[in-house]
Amino acid sequence: MADVPDRLVLKRHRDLTGVRHRIWIRRALLLALLGFLIAGLVNVFGQRPHGDVVDGAAARFELYAPSHLRGGLLYEARFTISAHRDLKSAALQLSPGWVEGSQLNTIEPSPIGEASRNGDLLLTLGHISAGTTYRLFMQFQINPTNVGWGRRADVTLYDGATKLAHIERQVTIFP
Amino acid sequence: MDIVLRGIVVFVFLYVLMRIVGRRELSSLEPFDIILLVILGDAVQQGLTQDDYSLTGAVLAVGTIAALQVGTSYLNFRFPKLRSVLDGEPLIIVQDGKPIKRNLDRERVTLDDLAEEARKQNIAKLEDIQWAVMETSGEISFIKKSDA
Repeated sequence: MADVPDRLVLKRHRDLTGVRHRIWIRRALLLALLGFLIAGLVNVFGQRPHGDVVDGAAARFELYAPSHLRGGLLYEARFTISAHRDLKSAALQLSPGWVEGSQLNTIEPSPIGEASRNGDLLLTLGHISAGTTYRLFMQFQINPTNVGWGRRADVTLYDGATKLAHIERQVTIFP
Repeated sequence: MDIVLRGIVVFVFLYVLMRIVGRRELSSLEPFDIILLVILGDAVQQGLTQDDYSLTGAVLAVGTIAALQVGTSYLNFRFPKLRSVLDGEPLIIVQDGKPIKRNLDRERVTLDDLAEEARKQNIAKLEDIQWAVMETSGEISFIKKSDA
């Protein structure tokens, strides 16, 4: 048999003695990568929106927005209020988590008033007649350096000082 | 700080990725691989510097990658045992003209691939090969019987 090239050992480099198990480490890591990709497909890392609905005596309130996001993403939150009775002064109260570390690009239609209530953002929408639907669109972009786990992003619908509906939610922002 | 952390994560991810995809993928640079390379670079850049257009950001990103590259190279040099983990080891795939199927399968190399690589080295027949070694870079080195 011809001499084995320098620095090669038949047992190790041909018969794989002592390194045979490494193929399984490689396969396990590939499997982990596949798991990560599948998690991405099933929306673990965002940004697919989903709906939350609260149907009360005064109004049906629906929020359609993603709760899992990533740095730099542009996304939309849609608030739909279907009034069962006249709402004289509808208002939305948003937790700070809605705008913390994010750009609020636009709100359509513009609310008639903006204020702070106990540190929350208060958007006054005005009068909504019984039987009609009011739809508010908010467009956001997450700041690229923003990372957050389980950040509170609740929203509450008021008519004046009367609380009509509350949606509790948390937002996770992946790096 | 953020860019340095991102640089570390991207470097470690790419390093592990390159180790797990197998040497077969590393050795070839077909037209499609070049396209993939460009897409990969673009995708990585977005995650690395994001909307940072500053010179400082660019220096931090490139500096982090360079420092880690030198670091791993030093570890390879200083600790030979670590070398086999970080870089892998050469694999004998042909001995005395006979392909070693188990090792070829391990790296997803077919006999056609092997013959093609041999032809590139002006070797017409596998029987003429004394040793063929798949190096850690994914390239195949051939030692002909006449040279052995």
